[in-house]
Amino acid sequence: MKKKIIIGLSIFSLVFLVSSVYTITTIEHATAKMDNLIKLHQVEILREHLLIQIKRAQSDLYLKDTPYARSVNTIVADVTTMSNAVNTCFNCHHAEQVANRLKNLRDKVEDYKIDLSRALTLRANAKRLRTEEDHAFQLGTELTDEVDNIITIANLKLEQKTQAAFQEITRTKIMLYFLVVVVPIAAIGLSVLFIQGFTSPVQELLTATRQLKKGDLSYRIDGLKDEFGEVAESFNEMAKALRDDSLRMQWAEQLVVLGEMAGGLAHEIKNPLAGIKASMEVLSMDTTLPEENRDVLQKGVEQIKRIEVLLKGLLNFARPPKPHFMSVDVNSVLDVTVGLALRHPQFASRDSKTITVIKDYDSHLPKTMADPQQLQQVFLNLLLNAADAMPDGGMITVETSRPEPGRSLHIQIVDTGDGIDEAVVDKIFQPFFTTKPHGTGLGLAITKRLIEQHGGSISVKNNHAKGVSFIITLPVRDGEEVQTI
Amino acid sequence: MNRRTIVISFICLILVLVSGCDSRGKPTPPQKMQDEQQLLIGLIPEQTLFRQIERFEPLARYLSRKAGVQITLKILPSYSNIIDNFASEKLDGAFFGSFTYVIAHEKLGVQVIARPEGEDGKSTYHGLIFVRKDSGIRFIRDMAGKRFAFVDKATTAGYLLPLAYFKQHKVNYKTYLKESYYTGTHEDAISDVLNRKADIGVAKNTVYERLADRDDRIKNELLILERSPDVPENGLAIRKDLGEDVKKNLTKVLLDMHNDPEGRAVLKAFGARKFIATSDADYKPIYKYAREIGLDLATYDYRNE
Repeated sequence: MKKKIIIGLSIFSLVFLVSSVYTITTIEHATAKMDNLIKLHQVEILREHLLIQIKRAQSDLYLKDTPYARSVNTIVADVTTMSNAVNTCFNCHHAEQVANRLKNLRDKVEDYKIDLSRALTLRANAKRLRTEEDHAFQLGTELTDEVDNIITIANLKLEQKTQAAFQEITRTKIMLYFLVVVVPIAAIGLSVLFIQGFTSPVQELLTATRQLKKGDLSYRIDGLKDEFGEVAESFNEMAKALRDDSLRMQWAEQLVVLGEMAGGLAHEIKNPLAGIKASMEVLSMDTTLPEENRDVLQKGVEQIKRIEVLLKGLLNFARPPKPHFMSVDVNSVLDVTVGLALRHPQFASRDSKTITVIKDYDSHLPKTMADPQQLQQVFLNLLLNAADAMPDGGMITVETSRPEPGRSLHIQIVDTGDGIDEAVVDKIFQPFFTTKPHGTGLGLAITKRLIEQHGGSISVKNNHAKGVSFIITLPVRDGEEVQTI
Repeated sequence: MNRRTIVISFICLILVLVSGCDSRGKPTPPQKMQDEQQLLIGLIPEQTLFRQIERFEPLARYLSRKAGVQITLKILPSYSNIIDNFASEKLDGAFFGSFTYVIAHEKLGVQVIARPEGEDGKSTYHGLIFVRKDSGIRFIRDMAGKRFAFVDKATTAGYLLPLAYFKQHKVNYKTYLKESYYTGTHEDAISDVLNRKADIGVAKNTVYERLADRDDRIKNELLILERSPDVPENGLAIRKDLGEDVKKNLTKVLLDMHNDPEGRAVLKAFGARKFIATSDADYKPIYKYAREIGLDLATYDYRNE
């Protein structure tokens, strides 16, 4: 979109620039043409003035020595003006042919002046006078013809130039009208295109948002490009995440209901089952009972014990005990738990296949409000899980850190076991999900529940090399914060 | 109304507007001219009418500016015309030829104030009688039946000199020659002999030499047969009743202009080094020459026949 905006603005600027330059250039050009035409017309006036002056001089010659003759002084002044008019022609640049013609004209004018002067000053017999006057008159006639000829040719060319100039001005005018009409239309067209380019995706996003608001989490935006395409993709991801969360929440709610049902059922079963177990134990102590029957009773008692463990887990999950918050040093709790775990049969009775526990604590880890018993239960559960995952021994790293100093702390338990199948990673904290042959599937579900009771979260991921990492994030809270919850 | 008329009208309109704009804030020349004294100065056709006016116009402009008078030049078609029309044309002065001045002084009482001194330091000229080399005319006897080009009856070089020449040889030119006429200008007299329109011509040496510088044919094809005594160069003479202040002022500017760079430039274009003070006494050679010829200036008919 940014690219489109830049291109659009560039097109606008370019159209404006080209139109402006064209308009200015054509106006300049037309003005220059008009200026040239004006000059040519001025020259034409000059030529016609010259012709009038020559004709006037001829007239003076004709009227010489008559009562109608003008004074010599006036004639001289007029002819001098005529001569100056010819000389003015040399102020402009001319082609060689024209320049030669003008030079010839100037020479003729000079000759005419000499003859005219002679005719005006000469006092001689009639024949001589007549000869000189005729000569001057003849030269004047030639001069008139020459100037007349120049005027005719020049007028023709001037007319052609005037026509051409007016045609060009007309063309320019049409072009300017065209620009005046087309440029705004093009600008409006481009604006509409750009506005549509902006509003359509926004409208699509608005529709999608409204659909989402209505609860249609399956609505997806399709067909948008550029930045709007990216926004649409983010929207689609958000909608998918919302849909997944919604499903998860539904599932979690169902689990809670199921857990509560199971807890209630377990509570109801627990007492009769205790009676049955006690009865069966009493029966098994009867000495008269044959040995094979006693074994059956013993096995029944053991199965009942298993059911009791299961029921206890169910109760823990369904009705976890409320945490008793106190200021806790997580490093110390971990230390104690690791010590307990190391004495647990799953760590201790392994012959030579030992498990090494490495502690990597952040010595500046702050204290936080937590239930140390429940934390211990969580850590122990994770450590025992890790030990289970390494039947051939291995290494467990217990690590604490502060990703956001002052706000939260991390506890990471990393093993070097076989890891978890990626397909079931998401299900590992669900109740009754287990990968162990004799597991209840409640350990990690309870662990997650306890951590969540502390306002934290737990996640799992397979390590790059080997094994998995459980990461617990706990908020760093003081007493007041816990009381307000 | 066609396009051409529109364009011309437009040009005129622009010119009117431009001239209207330009005139704002400028002093009003007519008022200035009214304040200044105006002098009308006549010119004789020493050269062609046009060349003569071209030669004197820069000088007139300079004098107008420096002397605080508005000088207008008026060229007249003949030497004698200037004497006839001095009063009727209301001339205040004129650049007279030497003989014209003497006649004008006698008849009108004009007073000469200054005359130019040439680049060669001479303030005089003389007349020349010349022929074409190939004409075979060398002496008075060769002139019989030939065509003679005078300049004007009121000129020293153009008439007094040939008159003296013919008198010296005891010849009545009116019967001795086939034809005689007055060219009106010294240039035309030279040009006529050169172009075989006349066989013998007369002219003043200054014009002859000026033309010879421009046209080699004069040196190559013409032959000078006679020359007159030196007489003062054409000077500026003013009417006798012209205000003394104007006269003094005009004389001062003329006599000082060679000390002014602008004046020097004008003098150079005019063909002079400076103007020198001149009085009627400087024209004694003319009076003497006229007496020798036997002319009575008081009764002399200076009009061309």
